[in-house]
Amino acid sequence: MGDTNSNNGNNTNTNNKKPEWLQQYDLLGKIGEGTYGLVFLARIKSSTNRGKSIAIKKFKQSKDGDGVSPTAIREIMLLREISHENVVKLVNVHINHVDMSLYLAFDYAEHDLYEIIRHHRDKVNHSISSYTVKSFLWQLLNGLNYLHSNWIIHRDLKPSNILVMGEGDEQGVVKIADFGLARIYQAPLKTLSDNGVVVTIWYRAPELLLGAKHYTSAVDMWAVGCIFAELLTLKPLFQGAEVKATPNPFQLDQLDKIFKVLGHPTLEKWPTLAHLPHWHQDVQHIQGHKYDNTGLNTVVHLPTKSAAYDLLSKMLEYDPRKRITAAQALEHEYFRSDPLPGRNALVSPNADKVVNYPTRPVDRTTDFEGTTSLQPSQPVSSGNAVSGSIPGAHGGTLRSGPRQMPVGGMQRMQPQAMQAYNNLASQPGMGSGMNPGGMPMQRGLPNQGHQQQQVRRKDSGMGMTGYPPQQKSRR
Amino acid sequence: MAANFWTSSHYKQLLDQEEVDVVQPLDKEKGITLEDFKHIKMHMANYIWKLAHQVKVRQRVVATAVTYMRRVYTRKSMTEYDPRLVAPTCLYLASKAEESTVQARLLVFYLKKLYTDEKYRYDRYEIKDILEMEMKILEALNYYLVVFHPYRALSQLLQDANLNDISMTQLTWGLLNDTYRMDLILVHAPHLIALACIYIASVLREKDTTAWFEELRVDMNVVKNISMEILDFYENHRMITDDRIIAAFSKLNLKP
Repeated sequence: MGDTNSNNGNNTNTNNKKPEWLQQYDLLGKIGEGTYGLVFLARIKSSTNRGKSIAIKKFKQSKDGDGVSPTAIREIMLLREISHENVVKLVNVHINHVDMSLYLAFDYAEHDLYEIIRHHRDKVNHSISSYTVKSFLWQLLNGLNYLHSNWIIHRDLKPSNILVMGEGDEQGVVKIADFGLARIYQAPLKTLSDNGVVVTIWYRAPELLLGAKHYTSAVDMWAVGCIFAELLTLKPLFQGAEVKATPNPFQLDQLDKIFKVLGHPTLEKWPTLAHLPHWHQDVQHIQGHKYDNTGLNTVVHLPTKSAAYDLLSKMLEYDPRKRITAAQALEHEYFRSDPLPGRNALVSPNADKVVNYPTRPVDRTTDFEGTTSLQPSQPVSSGNAVSGSIPGAHGGTLRSGPRQMPVGGMQRMQPQAMQAYNNLASQPGMGSGMNPGGMPMQRGLPNQGHQQQQVRRKDSGMGMTGYPPQQKSRR
Repeated sequence: MAANFWTSSHYKQLLDQEEVDVVQPLDKEKGITLEDFKHIKMHMANYIWKLAHQVKVRQRVVATAVTYMRRVYTRKSMTEYDPRLVAPTCLYLASKAEESTVQARLLVFYLKKLYTDEKYRYDRYEIKDILEMEMKILEALNYYLVVFHPYRALSQLLQDANLNDISMTQLTWGLLNDTYRMDLILVHAPHLIALACIYIASVLREKDTTAWFEELRVDMNVVKNISMEILDFYENHRMITDDRIIAAFSKLNLKP
């Protein structure tokens, strides 16, 4: 983002004219909508990156007269510091001083796990290949391990926030997106639960559901477990009905769904359970009826002896302290057995069949101001998967056609080498911080050298987006 | 990276003292000297402190706000970025970045409340001005918002040196707070600033820390230089009268 501000200092007085920074893009249309604002798809005009697709997230000025939304601040703050192949890339930040709006520009990603799962479930009616599932999961864990190593908890992992690159030289690469709820958890000023409940309820860890105050990176691993199961079965694993109330209502149904599959948590297996507020407050319901045994293997159709089942059950461990970490999960047997995970999750090295996923629908009638023009040019769905519309024939002129799926150049991923810092004592300034959950976290920089991609400039259709969530989480 | 200083934007943005000590051309034209420049920034840091005390946010928020303010003026002039607006706005933005959001209207309320005992009035501006300036500051900071402070390093180091008694803790903490009246945070890694505070305090309290410092793999010359800067600051501080600060501000000749 070094070039971020080269030209946005001088756009303050352009009143009705298009701000200069905006002129570097061709706006294609709206692809999403959230509480914070809108997401647009645009193309870069400049010669160096011509045709590169960019997702632009526009933050509205908050209505309560309190300036740039804390969500935007959080997202900018974190994304400006981090860089990893499996984390969405913030390419630019723009400010329109005239209407006080803020724009974040991301590399555009054509797909996300929500749409991919839905496509398999509703359209092609067959499961996602084991190579693809494993590659998605490995890359998701790889990105998450990077975040956790840097003391960042995502807090809102769900299929719609896990993006997958479309055609181009990053095809099939997973990108973790939407850092609006992410937190750096070294020395937090407030307890983490202070700023509202997070994590869409279906992916919410049991300790959060039971009212834990200080939660840890383990909440992200629970969500990964839920996503893993959903990739396998094409159905959300724990589909509880959300209780809508403020603040922090007790989500009994969600817990019940979990207990039904995993059995009741016990104090022997999860000693700190006794300290969780809701465990006591709602004795009648929570501790009342007992589900004995775990039916997880039948729900996900996995033999209990399989490596996949072993990994999944370690992600869905009740006790957050015992739950597998991202670093440990990357070392799991599952990733060492065939088929090995790859960088292009969509195309297996020995692929016989390639699934063509639909591209995102683009609402071409909406401009950056959010105003809708009167001549709709395309069948419109209100954005991404939010509306529940099927993007089959969607926004189509652009990237319909069969995709080229290059099969060469695939590389096997090596489990990531962690570079341990061994000179901590002499560098006290460097974030040797508290770790609220006592998680065995690795510190230091993942060695990314071997997986850093050179960006080739000729690609046209690929991209990434910081992309709006389907189910609104409470903020 | 968000939690590793050596890979952070903070580390990459560290400047040489000579780069920090540059009066912007527009301010220079108005006769602002390097000394004036430093005095105004110091006054702003003090003001941010007082304001933060009113709205009740923690030390780390203050430290981040002061750091933002000092970074802004390595790139922008005081003529264009009125210190009276930049000071409260930096506190406003820092409160969001540090997850202790303060409402703009509350901030403005205290701006007005505080002015009576201020030699220099900070109460000219309204909510709308703060919100506009927030965006300009975000831009001026190039959207880098994560700041590493020496506080955590300080308590860890004191513990490591077995110096974490109340007297040493209070003294070093106070010294560290005072370093934000200078530009040290823009120039030096936070743990070195913390070490300088420990160094000064151990001399004042006659604690023998020579062996402990030797065991640390740090450049003692740097630590001693920072210590000298801090001591120089205290020495000169006595000479900074209100009149001189008001004179510096009046050179800026800002709109009333």
